[in-house]
Amino acid sequence: MKIFIKIIKVIFTILLFAYSIAIIYLIALAPKEKRFKIAEHSQGFYLSQTMFDILIFQNANYSDAYFEKSVAFNKRGEYAKGFELLDKAVKLDPKLHLGYRGWMKLRKLRDYENALRDFNKLDSLTPNFVDSPWGEDIDFLRGECYYGKKNYKKAIELFNRNIKNQKEDWADIHTFVYLGLCEYELGNYKKAISEFKRGLKQSENLCEAHFGIAKSYKELGQMDKAKEFLLKAEENIAYKRDDVYNEFLNEIYLSEILEFKQQLNK
Amino acid sequence: MIFKVNQFTFTNTNKRVQTEIYLLVDIFYCCTQSTLKRNIQLKNKLNIFLLVGFLLALVLTIWVYYQTTNRIGDITFDKDIDNSEFKICNEDRIPQYYAVGTNYQNGEKAIKKELSELINNLNFKNSGFITYRFIVNCKGEVGSFRVKTIDSVLKENVFDSQKIKQLQKSIEKLKQWNAGKRKDETLDSYYVLNFKIQNNKITDIF
Repeated sequence: MKIFIKIIKVIFTILLFAYSIAIIYLIALAPKEKRFKIAEHSQGFYLSQTMFDILIFQNANYSDAYFEKSVAFNKRGEYAKGFELLDKAVKLDPKLHLGYRGWMKLRKLRDYENALRDFNKLDSLTPNFVDSPWGEDIDFLRGECYYGKKNYKKAIELFNRNIKNQKEDWADIHTFVYLGLCEYELGNYKKAISEFKRGLKQSENLCEAHFGIAKSYKELGQMDKAKEFLLKAEENIAYKRDDVYNEFLNEIYLSEILEFKQQLNK
Repeated sequence: MIFKVNQFTFTNTNKRVQTEIYLLVDIFYCCTQSTLKRNIQLKNKLNIFLLVGFLLALVLTIWVYYQTTNRIGDITFDKDIDNSEFKICNEDRIPQYYAVGTNYQNGEKAIKKELSELINNLNFKNSGFITYRFIVNCKGEVGSFRVKTIDSVLKENVFDSQKIKQLQKSIEKLKQWNAGKRKDETLDSYYVLNFKIQNNKITDIF
């Protein structure tokens, strides 16, 4: 009996130590890439942030750990902490993180000036290469920045440069929507219509372009045409550009279309 | 004499044997004692190992539990600042707005429209961003507000607290929140709303 208890005790001791060692290994000793993935997949939890802290402590130059640790803070509106970490990531590896920082400043904070500064700096670090911060053409993003700043002429220049980079059929369809919106804001309604139509060549469901054309026709006094395109915008509203995180600068809503319809019918 | 000698011899022999027996007993006793001692020591060591292993595992489990049940930006009820009438449907499960599609009817554009009067009247002394994080409960009501402020270079700063309260009250008046949903079930969720301040004015809400 005593031996049996002794054996049980030995087994339990081994299991308890193995359990503790496994936890310590996964949190602090496993290869850094493996721990990075674990922390990345449990984003936002204290455990994830602690694991990034340990990674940073062990690898002071691990820029990805600073970058990934910043994500949870920025998603939750704690920008001071988030951008402090992103700044460190950028300092360690500007080419890798400048684009994302600029993208975050544009999309999360609508901080056009600071976003442009990051995009321009990135561009200067990579001559003869078209950067794609967070998967989007750098000139499309710079165009959005200038659109946000209401500098429509400069925005047109950048959106056109994006089309040149990507070619007409491959450029982001919203490049044409923005081009139309910029021309509309400058009072060039005919030009606006032709830009919106370039987008419609890529997809007939582009409700933002239909809506833009309707508004342009209204300005040109062609109410029938305006109503025709407004109807198309309404029919295609399900295809509108939206994002679970933030409202886009060129995002439209059904309520706006209906409001405009009422104005047209007055 | 012989007898005596013999006796002596015998006695002597007896004593020797006795001594030898004593010695053997003594050695045996000593050995048994040391084995016993060793056994007790070993038993104690095993118990200590088991105890240390258990305590280490317990501490680690509690630590991991704490680390995996708390998240960045979670808001706990504070009776000094939170409205006790604001009820959360399920305190154990409050996801982020982007995970369950929480939104304001017709977007932030609609918020901008509804708050246009306040936007035009409020003046600030510095530039930057005021960010409200709050809970949109499963009924589309808002509460548990927390505020973070940063300046135009994205470092922490301070805005007039009265104006921050005024803005919060205006958010509380917004009534067209669509609570987050997952599989037809409406849920509580955390939402983030930013106010951009430029040239002393609110220039954007998103």
